[in-house]
Amino acid sequence: MNRFALAGNPNCGKTTLFNSLTGSTAHVGNWPGVTVDKRDGVYKRLPEQVAIVDLPGIYSLSPYTPEEVIARNYILDEKPDCVINIVDATNLERNLYLTTQIMEIDVPMVVALNMMDAVEKVGDKIDEKELEKRLGVPVVKISALKETGLKELMEKAYKVSKTPREGITVLGDTDVAHLIGDVKIALKGQNVENPLFHAIKLVENDEIEVGMHKETLPMIEEFKKTFKNDTFGADFEALVADARYKYISKNFAPVIQRKNKEKVKMTASDKADKVLTHKIWGIPIFLVVLFLIFHLTFSENFFYLNGFNDSQAWMPSLAENEAFLEKDENGNIVYKKDDDGNYILDYYIDDEGKYVTTRPEEDGDWEQGENGYWGQKIPVYTYGARWLATIYDGTLYSPGVVINNIWNDMIVGDLFGLVKTGVENIGMADWATGLINDGILEGLAAVLSFLPPILVLFMFFSILEDSGYMARIAFILDRMFRKFGLSGRAFLPMIMGFGCSVPAMINTRTLADEKERTATVRVIPFFSCGAKLPILTAVAGALVMGTGMSADVITYSMYLLGIITAIVSVLLMRSTSLKGETPPFIMELPSYHMPQFKNLMAHLWDKTKHFVKKAFTIILASTIVIWVLTHFDFAWRLLGDEEINNSILASVSKLVQPLFTPLGFGSQLGEYGWVFVLAAVSGLIAKENVIASFGTLGACLLAAAGTEGSSLAGVASDLAMCNVSAEAGIGAVKAMIIATNITPAALIAFIAFNMTTIPCFAAVATAKAELQNNNRYKWTLLFWIATSYVVATLVYTIGSWWWTAFVWAVVAAAVVTVIVMINKGMFKKKS
Amino acid sequence: MPIVLAPLNQNLRIVRIVADEKLKKHLESLGITVNGEITVLSASGGSVVCKIKEGRIALDKELSTKIFVA
Repeated sequence: MNRFALAGNPNCGKTTLFNSLTGSTAHVGNWPGVTVDKRDGVYKRLPEQVAIVDLPGIYSLSPYTPEEVIARNYILDEKPDCVINIVDATNLERNLYLTTQIMEIDVPMVVALNMMDAVEKVGDKIDEKELEKRLGVPVVKISALKETGLKELMEKAYKVSKTPREGITVLGDTDVAHLIGDVKIALKGQNVENPLFHAIKLVENDEIEVGMHKETLPMIEEFKKTFKNDTFGADFEALVADARYKYISKNFAPVIQRKNKEKVKMTASDKADKVLTHKIWGIPIFLVVLFLIFHLTFSENFFYLNGFNDSQAWMPSLAENEAFLEKDENGNIVYKKDDDGNYILDYYIDDEGKYVTTRPEEDGDWEQGENGYWGQKIPVYTYGARWLATIYDGTLYSPGVVINNIWNDMIVGDLFGLVKTGVENIGMADWATGLINDGILEGLAAVLSFLPPILVLFMFFSILEDSGYMARIAFILDRMFRKFGLSGRAFLPMIMGFGCSVPAMINTRTLADEKERTATVRVIPFFSCGAKLPILTAVAGALVMGTGMSADVITYSMYLLGIITAIVSVLLMRSTSLKGETPPFIMELPSYHMPQFKNLMAHLWDKTKHFVKKAFTIILASTIVIWVLTHFDFAWRLLGDEEINNSILASVSKLVQPLFTPLGFGSQLGEYGWVFVLAAVSGLIAKENVIASFGTLGACLLAAAGTEGSSLAGVASDLAMCNVSAEAGIGAVKAMIIATNITPAALIAFIAFNMTTIPCFAAVATAKAELQNNNRYKWTLLFWIATSYVVATLVYTIGSWWWTAFVWAVVAAAVVTVIVMINKGMFKKKS
Repeated sequence: MPIVLAPLNQNLRIVRIVADEKLKKHLESLGITVNGEITVLSASGGSVVCKIKEGRIALDKELSTKIFVA
């Protein structure tokens, strides 16, 4: 099959074009360096099928970072049938610098002038026929985003791929032209492929080339001795670079007709940058943007419209709303009925805060009272009121919460409820019903219930990426952290880590410095990924019920805790085991643009597919294993739900449970405490497992509490309040809290532990591959264990006894002092 | 003078770049070459954002003391 390679500067739209051509949904973003590995797809609208290869962005064919090497080697060694050189028409001269280098290779090529829509929008014109004549290779105007000109581009590419092309250079009139010619002839004599290209790179003193063609070097050295240039001396690479740009300015740049001739002009992007990258306001604005994201995703009090605390709350709850109540002829408060004679709401709350109903239902203790039956009841709304309650119920919910409510209260809860009833009605053996309903369905429901917050949060991060703000975040953070050995470039893969650690670790290839790369790979898991979000939201949700904290603040603080842990760890590593100069920060800041709807949807669809697939494979399998191993003892005897404390997993978990005592979820939790240990360990396979395990075990606890003589009988009525199915994860966590008496501090420590400990299998394997050093990999594993242990202990102790903060501060100060002293050489023996 | 100290929003010409070979090559491929034009758009706390060709490039403090303009 023919292969066409897409090559061009970073962020010029290669991957967007790749997606348009092949119908793929590869990750794109408006910042340089999203793609770090080559990627294949098929284009089918030509007489024969063509493989399209998307390459990482490169500024030139002399690579600076590891991923740039991939692009260069592909073009040279794999010899594609055609190179489609994508040129960002809004920055033509700089982009053509690479074009002049690809032209030197003996490979058919087409230039695709991308982002023509942006050029035409400001009123500029590009004469592509003239450019084609001057370059000597075909030029096609396209817009990868709007999908214009793609057919013509592919037809041109197909046509030129049929005839070989010999390299041409724009350096023909320079002082080194003769030298290039001579070297080329010499290389040709040695049967080197692409002699012109290699000759020029040799003259440029390119690192890779010099190693490859040692025998030709004396010739260049000889020439250098006799050479003298006023500006550059014998610095050939600077001379060649200058010559290229001069040629481009003189010959190619005139094809643009600018509407606005004025040279220095502030664009809208520049003006936005004045504010967003401001020396003082840059960081606060970033933190506010982050908080907004979490607020819109998790807040149950939209923009604090309902006041900042309970005493300011003024919004009436649905249950108390008069819209559902009316007085009958005797003056009693009764429910309104709809046209069909059904109650709109089937209870209300009286002055004493008790639920009152005229229709006592099966669950809850109801007593006959004046106005009906009263007692405790979990709110049950009629169908219509339930829909309303997804948006408003005593408080206005944020969009993320609304989507979450609709998904969980209206779709997943009902659906799984139906399936479970169905399973019960089949009349299988008790253990089989238990396995399916408690083991599999509860586990799956717990995981699937988190799809909405994951998607909403992911959408906001996609918007950050697509708008161009990501590159600015790197810039403002660079200013802050580079004196501590951390460059802003490293923050881009870290922020990608909010989506998934695997691509984020691969993206560290954009970092030129090996030590910085290692440090970054190690801390990426601390940027809590989508799979860890369920742990966070479920536990946060349960904490809200217990402590009255708000969910968005808890989640935001936990994410910040992860970020802070990451930064502190990098700083520590960079001043101890991974010392080195802070690599220079050079980054192109792309123009801001509106996030593309199509792009966002593609991102979200990809995430959904990945998530659902994982839920029905790895997680499904894990929940079955966990159910089985918690329902059999070592003699392979089937255990009832009330006996799970004697199961294989319980016995094993109890063995390691004491280790977690300083973290708050160890021995102090009593006989059911091992569930937290088990959940954390099951997270090593996939982090969603933590919550799936909660779902499975929570359902077992509920069933156990209903059994006569169970040790949980005392809390049976409290447990009955935990609606494990409807609230999925949150209900399960509440059940755990009741069964174990775990404290809020320990719960937060539990989140912190899961956030910072060894990530899932996939991420560990990626880290191993990216670190390329077995020793380093082993230390990385140890680092993760140690960090999570320390961070969780810190959270638990300070959360339980605030004064321990001072003890920790002293320890931290001592550690910092020792490091500083060692680094200043104070402990070295004087010789 | 180094570009940290250069006046904002003016067309300047680069006269000297003090950097090792690899870094210099990277700067060149971004359009930061001796004899090339550069406009400093903002300088805050040593880091600069400059306009090179049509692109906006952010540079850290150390680097911006190593690029000299006339």
